[in-house]
This record gives sequence, C-alpha cells and structure tokens, in this order.
Amino acid sequence: MRNLILKDLILNKKFLLLMGLLYILYMGLFFSRIDNPKLDIICITFLSFILVVMIYTREDKFKATVTSCSLPATRKQIVLARYVLGWLLMIAAYVLAMTAILAVPGHKLGAAELFNIQTTFFALALMTLFFAFLMPLLIRFGVVGFFVFLISFQMLSIITLTLASKKMLNLDIKAWVAAINNAFMSLNARLGAPGYYAFLLAMMFLLSLGSFVCSVFFFKRKDL
Amino acid sequence: MPNVLEIRNLSKDYGDFKLKDVSCSLPQGFIMGLIGPNGAGKTTIIKLILNLLHRDEGEIKVFGLDNVDDEATVKGRIGFVHDTPYFCEPLTLKSLKATVAPFYKDWDDGVFYRLLREFDLPARKPFRKLSRGMKMKFALAVALSHHADFIILDEPTSGLDPVFRRELLARLSALIQDEKKSVLFSTHITSDLERIADYITFIHDGRIVFSKAKDEVLEKWAVVKGGNDLLNEDSRTFFKGIRKREFGFEALTADAAEARRRFAGKAVIEKASLEDIMYFMTRGGNHA
Repeated sequence: MRNLILKDLILNKKFLLLMGLLYILYMGLFFSRIDNPKLDIICITFLSFILVVMIYTREDKFKATVTSCSLPATRKQIVLARYVLGWLLMIAAYVLAMTAILAVPGHKLGAAELFNIQTTFFALALMTLFFAFLMPLLIRFGVVGFFVFLISFQMLSIITLTLASKKMLNLDIKAWVAAINNAFMSLNARLGAPGYYAFLLAMMFLLSLGSFVCSVFFFKRKDL
Repeated sequence: MPNVLEIRNLSKDYGDFKLKDVSCSLPQGFIMGLIGPNGAGKTTIIKLILNLLHRDEGEIKVFGLDNVDDEATVKGRIGFVHDTPYFCEPLTLKSLKATVAPFYKDWDDGVFYRLLREFDLPARKPFRKLSRGMKMKFALAVALSHHADFIILDEPTSGLDPVFRRELLARLSALIQDEKKSVLFSTHITSDLERIADYITFIHDGRIVFSKAKDEVLEKWAVVKGGNDLLNEDSRTFFKGIRKREFGFEALTADAAEARRRFAGKAVIEKASLEDIMYFMTRGGNHA
C-alpha cells in the first residue's frame, strides 16, 4: 500500500503543491467572510473531497490506470491506498483551510468556534458521507459518471424541492431534519458525551468500511 | 520443462465480441508469438493474463499460480508492454521510474539507466514529449529492468523503426538464452515472429485456430499454386483457404505431405509463411 500511496503522491506532486495551495488560499479568503461555522464546515469538507476527486481524475485523464493495475498490486490494495490517501488529503485540506480562515485578517469566526469537538465531529461525519457515498461512484463510473451523477442529483433535488414548495409533493424536509436531529440529541443524552462520540466514530467507520467493500467489488469487476 | 503460462477454456464476452474457449500453454524458456488480424482477441488475452479484464470462464495459471488469486506475486515476476504505453504524461522518465520501481523487489536501476542510454531516451524529458516509438522504448526499458521471468509484449514493434525492431528481437532472443525467462509476444507483423518465436498461437475471431511449435507449423502448412482445373469439391474441402484468380488459384493447406502426394507434378507447392497462413485463414475462406 505504501508504494501505491507513494506513486499517487509522485504523480500528483506538482498538482498538489500548486492547486492545493491555491485551493486552500481561496477557501481561507472566501470563508473568512462567513460567520456561520456550519456553512463553513459543509462547504470546506465538500471542497476538500473534490480536491481528492481531482487527483484521482488525473489518472483517468492519462489512462494510466491500465499501467497502475498491471503493477504487482491487487485491485483491493489499489482501492485501499486510494481510501487512505484520500482521507489523509481530505483531512489535511480541511485543517489547512480552517487555519487559513483564521490567518486572514478580519475573519468572522474564532479558533474556538472552528476547532472544537462538535465541529470536528460534524466535519468528520460530512467527510464520511461524501467519501463513503461518492467514492464507489467515482470508481465504478469514472469522473464523467461521477459528475453526471452529481448534476443529476442536483437537478432531482431542485425538482423535488420545487414540487414540495408548490404543495404538489407531500415532502416535509424540515420535519425530516428535525427528526434526525432529535434522534442524535436523544442518543447523546442516553449515552453521555464519550459514549455518543464513540458511537458516532463506530458508525463512520462502518459506513466507510461498507463503502470500501462496494468500491473493491466494483473495481475488481472493472474492465480496463 | 514446466509451463510458465497455462490457459484453459478461457472465455470473455463483450457483447459484440466473444473470446471463446481459448486454451494454450507456453513452456518456460521459450518465446510464443500470438498472431491474428486486428480485433482477433490478442490484446484481450493479454489483458486477461494481467487481470485487467474480468474473465467470464476458464483458468489462467502463470508460474503455476492463478493469475487472480496470486495477482501480486504473479505480476511481480512479469514485465509488460501494452500496445499503447499509458503513463502519466507530464512526468519525466526519471519520475515515472520512481513510481514503478518500488513495486519490484528485483528492480535494477543500473539496467534501467543503461537501457535508457542504449535507447537514446533522456531521463529528464517529460513522457508527453516522446514520440510513439520512444514511448514504446521507455515501456520496454521498464519491462526489462526488474529481471522479470516472463515478458508480455502487446504489439511492441508496431511503432518502432526497422533498425530498432531488429535490435529488440535480438534482445528478446538473448533474454531467453538462460532457459528461465519466457516471452509472450503479440503482433500482426508476422516476419518478426518468424525470426524469434518458438511457438505460434494463431487467433481469429476470438477462437484459437492453432497453438503449436513454429517449426511444426512451417513444416506442415503449405501454399499450393495451380490451375483452376484442379479445384473440385474434394480439393476445396482439403484446403483451409483459397484465393482464385482468372488463370489459377493459390490455396493453403495444413497437410503439406498430402498436398505433395495429391498434386505432384500438377501444382507448385511452397512452404507457407505465417503471413500466408494469416491471410488465407482470415481472408481466403474456402469459397473464393
């Protein structure tokens, strides 16, 4: 796995240094003007995930996956390396972007609001959701399929919300969000803070594991 | 002599193309040429050996190991060159080497840089700035730099100039002299195989037509040239392929001895080249 991670880092060295830096500066400058920590976290975790996607699309672009898969490594090891490197880069991009926000003069939020246990778990949960649901898609359908899915998902959401707002669809999103929120609050109350966070970590791990198993299943059957 | 490669009843269905029930084997220390027209299934077989394609049925054993169950072990002993060498284009050859070398425990930097010099490849040049022939040479340098026991080459000579092609063929011949290394070599330039191959596997339309020792093939197959009056129901079934012209015919047979017996004094009988065999088997049919 070490060799596969090293290979991806060498392949993306210049891209990571240049684009990663620009990306983080942009996130720092833009999100330092926003005073809602949840909005910051949602946007930055998603953009951090997209940075990871961009790295893996570069291999697609040069069709170098054929060469990578001809090297002495199993498909499972290749997927595992992608998951490990993806998570490391996502966390690094998130931490650097949050630090960049604090480094911009006149930032609206302080370190205590951006780096605390709730925001950290919220960010980890979002990263898990993005990564766990979208990585198998990226592996199965490649970058084109991935963006087709994202755009289709956006279109479907717009249509659903429009229909719901015009009362043509019986969909109470606010009630759903409130129900999920209540479920988590009730869990927190029952388990206590340490138990609750341990439970959340276990859920995130299981979700990531499920996603990994799906990705391996797809990648093993992918013809190159 | 153990087999370095054993393929049994291999099948792969693409929908519009099927590889059907392919079986062949290559003993250690020999060169096998995989020939066939474009789209016959040569690249599919090579990709299946490298587990780049998911096989539908059959079994592939390399060094006696299953190519899927023991994928990393098997690939660690294989040197490969694909028909189009795909590497990350912006990287220099030196950086590309750094991405590949750690995967092989027997990687030899000395051999790699010697090959770069011999092939006139500048280590600091980005891959994208190389011509197709140079890209192929780089892929060859990578394949030959880790003391692989089995070299798999998919159309390696198609983008190369004739001088380097001859050099490559000589290099491959030299490679197997220790009788431990083996080569599988797909091409439609059949003259390359006549120079170096020990075994020939001919594939057409997803099926193996034959997989035999080259000398046996060249000895048994023949081209018969004669007048059209020799063509009748019986001779047509005897020939594998016929090309009929206004003043005579040319036909391919897989039984040169029987052809000599049947047509002695009536027709010219010549040894068939691999190109003849490929031509008649794919274009000639039995109904020209």
